[in-house]
Amino acid sequence: MAQQRALPQSKETLLQSYNKRLKDDVKSIMDNFTEIIKTAKIEDETQVSRATQGEQDNYEMHVRAANIVRAGESLMKLVSDLKQFLILNDFPSVNEAIDQRNQQLRALQEECDRKLIALRDEVSIDLYELEEEYYSSSSSLCEANDLPLCEAYWRLDPDTDSTDCLSAPLLASPEPSAGGPLQAAAPTHSHAGGPGPTEHA
Amino acid sequence: MATYSLANERLRALEDIEREIGAILQNAGTVILELSKEKTNERLLDRQAAAFTASVQHVEAELSAQIRYLTQVATGQPHEGSSYSSRKDCQMALKRVDYARLKLSEVARTCEQMLEN
Repeated sequence: MAQQRALPQSKETLLQSYNKRLKDDVKSIMDNFTEIIKTAKIEDETQVSRATQGEQDNYEMHVRAANIVRAGESLMKLVSDLKQFLILNDFPSVNEAIDQRNQQLRALQEECDRKLIALRDEVSIDLYELEEEYYSSSSSLCEANDLPLCEAYWRLDPDTDSTDCLSAPLLASPEPSAGGPLQAAAPTHSHAGGPGPTEHA
Repeated sequence: MATYSLANERLRALEDIEREIGAILQNAGTVILELSKEKTNERLLDRQAAAFTASVQHVEAELSAQIRYLTQVATGQPHEGSSYSSRKDCQMALKRVDYARLKLSEVARTCEQMLEN
């Protein structure tokens, strides 16, 4: 506690340099502006001819105007440096920004999880009904082209077409007697809709 | 939101100062332009000159205040806080949602194919 919070030398020097830059730039703007206004005054007595004096005044005003613009730009650079310093070293506002971001992300995560849980509850009800429907309808059918859902799913490889997966059980079917109607149904599987399922609908 | 505005309040103040510096240069240019005319509008001249002086003093005061605040607040140490953990958790939640959507679309596709068959 005896030790006061001491800025490192570099930070102290940096802040002092910011002060100096501010003072110098503001002084430059004010002085140059004042001098331009003074130079605008027309004097009756001049050491050189009026034309020469006019040219000199013109050049001086150009230079002073350029100085004002340079000082203004230097002030803009100073403001930019201050913004950067503020973002990096203003701990209260950095802490607050972090807390804010954490709150937002946590709220989004909770909402996602809440919606997933609600979806799970709904889908479990629908799945129950689907399974009931499926097993009650497919259990009365004995045709080989009616695949169980898992079988149909497994046969749906990314490289195979849907026609292949229905012709595949025909090749693997051990019953030659069922080959007749199946062979007729296989090429027309897409629009036949399976006479089996529709008959038992 | 009041909490978030505090973080940006100083930055917004600095942006206002930037705009004011532009206004300072514009006022100075208007005064000199007005002086260059044969018939000067004195009221405009006085107004612009007063605005110029006031702006310069205001900018100086504001920037001094900001530098004073930074002198009090800066510690010289790097800030080591981050929002990485909550960002990761949120990312995982979004991945869970994507995965659920993918699985649901597969179930829907399978159901449609079974219906077609």
